[in-house]
Amino acid sequence: MTAAKKILIVNLTRFGDLLQTSPAIAALKRRHPEAAITLMAEKNFADVCDGIPGIDRVYRVELDRVGKLMLDGGAHLVEAYRYVEQVIGELRAERFDLALNYSSSRMSAVFMGLLEIPDVRGWSMTPDGLRVIRHPWSRLFATMCLNRRLASFNLVDYYCAMTDELAGTGSLRYEVTPEAAARAGEVLAEMGIGADARVVALQLGASRAIRQWPEASFVGLGRALADAGFRSVVIGGGSDRPLGDRVVAGIGDAAVNACGKTGVGELGAVLRRAAALVTGDTGPMHMAVAVGTPVVGLFFGPASPFDTGPYAGDHVVIHSGAPCAPCDHNVTCLEPFCRDELSPDRVAAAVVARVAGDWAELESIAGTLAPARVYRTGFDSGGRFLATPLAAPPRRREDALRDAYRASFLHVLEGVPLPQPVPLGRSPGRPTVPIAPFVGLVELAREGLTQAGRLAQLARAKQPRIAEIERIGRELEVVDRTLKEHGGMHPDTNVLVQMFTFGKENLEGDDVATLAVETARLYRDLARTADCMTALLGGVAAKEEESDARLHQ
Amino acid sequence: MSELQSGNMTVLAERAPALATRIAATRVPATHVLGTTASGLPTLALAGVPMQHLTSPVADAERWARSTVERLQAVAATRVVIVGFGLGYHLEALAARFAGVIAVVEPDLAVLRLALASRDLATLLARVEIVAGDPAAATAGHPAVAAAGDSALATAADPAAATAADPAGDAAAGGRTLVLAHAPALLVPNGAYRRVLRAWQAQAARSGLRLKVLVVTPLYGGSWPIAGYAARALTELGHETHLLDLAPFHDAFQGLERFGARKANRRVLESGFCDVMAAGIAATVDALEPDLVLALAQAPLNASALDAIGKRGVLRALWFVEDYRVMTYWRELARHYDHVFTIQTDACLEAMGQVTDARLAYLPCGFDPRVHRPLVLDAAERADLGSDVSFVGAGYRNRRLAFRRFLDCDFKIWGSDWGGAEGLGRAIQRNGARIDTDDAIRIFNASRVNLNLHSSTYHEGVDPRGDFVNPRTFELAGSGAFQIVDRRTLLPPLFTGEELAIVDSVAAMREQTDYYLAHEDERLALAERARRRALAEHTYVRRMENLLAAVVGPAQEQLLAKRRTVTVGDVARDGEGSLQTFLGQFDPHTPFTIDRLAASLANREGALSEPEAIFLFLHQFDELYLREHRA
Repeated sequence: MTAAKKILIVNLTRFGDLLQTSPAIAALKRRHPEAAITLMAEKNFADVCDGIPGIDRVYRVELDRVGKLMLDGGAHLVEAYRYVEQVIGELRAERFDLALNYSSSRMSAVFMGLLEIPDVRGWSMTPDGLRVIRHPWSRLFATMCLNRRLASFNLVDYYCAMTDELAGTGSLRYEVTPEAAARAGEVLAEMGIGADARVVALQLGASRAIRQWPEASFVGLGRALADAGFRSVVIGGGSDRPLGDRVVAGIGDAAVNACGKTGVGELGAVLRRAAALVTGDTGPMHMAVAVGTPVVGLFFGPASPFDTGPYAGDHVVIHSGAPCAPCDHNVTCLEPFCRDELSPDRVAAAVVARVAGDWAELESIAGTLAPARVYRTGFDSGGRFLATPLAAPPRRREDALRDAYRASFLHVLEGVPLPQPVPLGRSPGRPTVPIAPFVGLVELAREGLTQAGRLAQLARAKQPRIAEIERIGRELEVVDRTLKEHGGMHPDTNVLVQMFTFGKENLEGDDVATLAVETARLYRDLARTADCMTALLGGVAAKEEESDARLHQ
Repeated sequence: MSELQSGNMTVLAERAPALATRIAATRVPATHVLGTTASGLPTLALAGVPMQHLTSPVADAERWARSTVERLQAVAATRVVIVGFGLGYHLEALAARFAGVIAVVEPDLAVLRLALASRDLATLLARVEIVAGDPAAATAGHPAVAAAGDSALATAADPAAATAADPAGDAAAGGRTLVLAHAPALLVPNGAYRRVLRAWQAQAARSGLRLKVLVVTPLYGGSWPIAGYAARALTELGHETHLLDLAPFHDAFQGLERFGARKANRRVLESGFCDVMAAGIAATVDALEPDLVLALAQAPLNASALDAIGKRGVLRALWFVEDYRVMTYWRELARHYDHVFTIQTDACLEAMGQVTDARLAYLPCGFDPRVHRPLVLDAAERADLGSDVSFVGAGYRNRRLAFRRFLDCDFKIWGSDWGGAEGLGRAIQRNGARIDTDDAIRIFNASRVNLNLHSSTYHEGVDPRGDFVNPRTFELAGSGAFQIVDRRTLLPPLFTGEELAIVDSVAAMREQTDYYLAHEDERLALAERARRRALAEHTYVRRMENLLAAVVGPAQEQLLAKRRTVTVGDVARDGEGSLQTFLGQFDPHTPFTIDRLAASLANREGALSEPEAIFLFLHQFDELYLREHRA
């Protein structure tokens, strides 16, 4: 890839997601050192971008305004139209040569399609209005969003992979300005938190109630921390203030309520000042990571430590052990018992141990928190995020699948060697994952590969046999339909089928030969990945050479 | 001609020469009397009614103008039509305060002649547009009025031909029109001004507003299809129409029988069911916020639902397409409506007037040309559905008795409720199954003679005092089918004997049947004339025009003050370039909503234009962020 001169990053989500973009920005800077990077963010969340290194310009888009205009309706819809038209015009005029869309939504796909940028990665749109997901890691991310319990990569690693550069920064990044630090100090001092106080920050709220630890649990935590000599500083926005007041009242003098008293910069400074942050999967969690403050994350509901866990080493995530966790993003749980399984005292003990850097004690505490699992964050040898369980909890079926998928995709997409197959079989204490569905998938993919190869040959002929081409096209339709049914019948394999399906949706153009070759590649990748899964789960060596040979027949 | 009059006429002649000529030629009747105030200002009285304040006409006119401007501002009107010129005091005061277009409707040319003869109106004549009582007097000489539409021809007697309130003009000019009266004119004994005011208000409100109308069907019955026809007609007239079709609940209603309840309990159940339906309708109104709810007869609305709807400021109209003597629920419900339309006149309106303050009006049934139309049938259809003589309808007592006389013909009876009809069995088709509309139209077309005997539960043949005209009369005519119909007192204004074969007795119906079976040409000629008449006068579009004229005329300010649905036409007017091109593909009346625009993109092929892609983006934005909020 040639070096880009002007790069646009689109991230229309919340401020935590913007912080999670920071390693990708660093990666882009390494790969395109001369490039000017513009980050487009929603105006209400964009302030955080001012502290993220490497951004040359923040383009603040007023989606709030668009929403108000659309809710007003009528002629205001024209105003919304004109505003979007203006934004598109301004961005087109910049003549970006590379764009990365980190907002995985149809809305952002349409937007990217409008920008006329030659190299767009992530969700975009064809001129005909069809969604495409450009870049295999973006497709993998979209796939894993539909198969959350098997998601094995951190969001930040997807972002970084889309830059074609490894993260390598080891953390999110946010620079607290001296002014913000001074203002934060004043805010804390006004509340009676002196420079020598031992402080733990508590983030009570979350974007959804199901991600939120109960109020009474936070009170119990605060009291236990007070007993251990910590002051609690409750952080959050203005809307969290009533909740903060109630929790502070419950904890007593050891706690203060800073909700609504800090802007983004001051929040970073307050968190930097704290010995630790106790939080759900929230924006402030990512801020704490970015400023280097240890996090004890309490992950409930849809939160998963594997895909949005604190992106740096040596943070702690306590994840619900409920068999249904993590739940899907799009469901509403009517009985969120997972939030009630943690003892505030044990969480406090974990906080104290983490502040002390006592990982042996944390191992010990982890054993007492079952069925919840405690993870220590870190990175693999390739610099990708890993959440490693403490206290060696029993390995579950989804753990085996998650690990196998991680290794398989790293192998197929990045060429990372497969680990030695570990025969899981019927070994005591090992989960059993049937490999027959993966074997079946390999066979289907090879059938598709064979047909697509023949199609490519026929299409390249000087006098193509149309009837034969059409016949093979129909056979490929049958293969694809069977693949989808296979994924539905065998959910363990659905990740591969979904990834393949996104890939098929990505095929553009009307040259049959080219499309056939591209299709063959998709079947080949599917066969390879399924082969890897078979090998990793069943202890059988992958048959890659054979798959490759078929592609070139 | 005085110097004063000459000066006025010169100004008028420059703008409207034909009108000036006609005014000059108009004779002033003795009922029109000029006078003067104590201070010497001219005054005018018509049949003894003063057209201005008798002592302080200028100050009084200014008071009127101030309040009028407030009313105009309240509804953001940019144009006003004033009925009544008088001597122009009020118009001068209004012109000094209102910057918009002022059109004056004056049905009496003699008033204009006297005004021009008694006061210096040169400035006023240059400012306002005059719409006179004669089409020729209101021609192209009034550019401002003409600018509001594509024709400058305006007549006070027929506002539909005038343009000050023309819908296209309204949209093109980007404003709203309010029609008001110069109050003294309404007191003139012959009522001419009052009639003109009503007609103009109705026209202005009807055409200048795109109403949101909720049409409510009954669960079943003869008025159910009429609801659909009415809704379609309202849509054709450019209104945003929503049909609340309650037919899907009919099975549930019939399912109440499964409880096997005693009669009294059964009534309780049915009443409870109807209460649920009424609450559902009220909830629909709450969600939809229409301007008008039009309920067809037997729509399950009860008093509390109607009152709740009324409290929301929604107009309530009932089209009672029933015989008021047979169906009497109007006694309880009519007073909960703002308007009741009936298919009967005198005695019916009088009876209803005793129980309700609602506005009452006669509105006969009609037909839908898209449904009721001539069809070319194939041989199989003719064999199945055709006959020399046919009847489509329910087996009422008088029909059971009357139709026995036709059994020696090639006679087919179609429809339900014929069980136990002695002797008719051979003629009854499909075992008395209900006939759907499509088949009914085919039967009309396949039959040489269609009998149309109005129902009666207590006559043996023709009801000698029958008044209303049934829907079948219009539907047969619209289908180009020949019919023999029993005489109805309300039939003559609708159809004549040149269009339908009209009979006074069953015996005559039998005789006419033989005659017309033997006289093919005459039969076809009558059917053709009936169809032409029906198309010209009896479509549901015409009926809805009349209904809306009655409903919205008196409520024009209330309706204008409400927030209107913005249409594509409204915004396309201001659009430029690619946006306007995109919007140009839509009917201008299409509501300008993201859902409607996005729906047009659903099945399109090929590259998206930029406006299409931007609206697609906004649609996705709406789905992602706003749908839940809006709900």
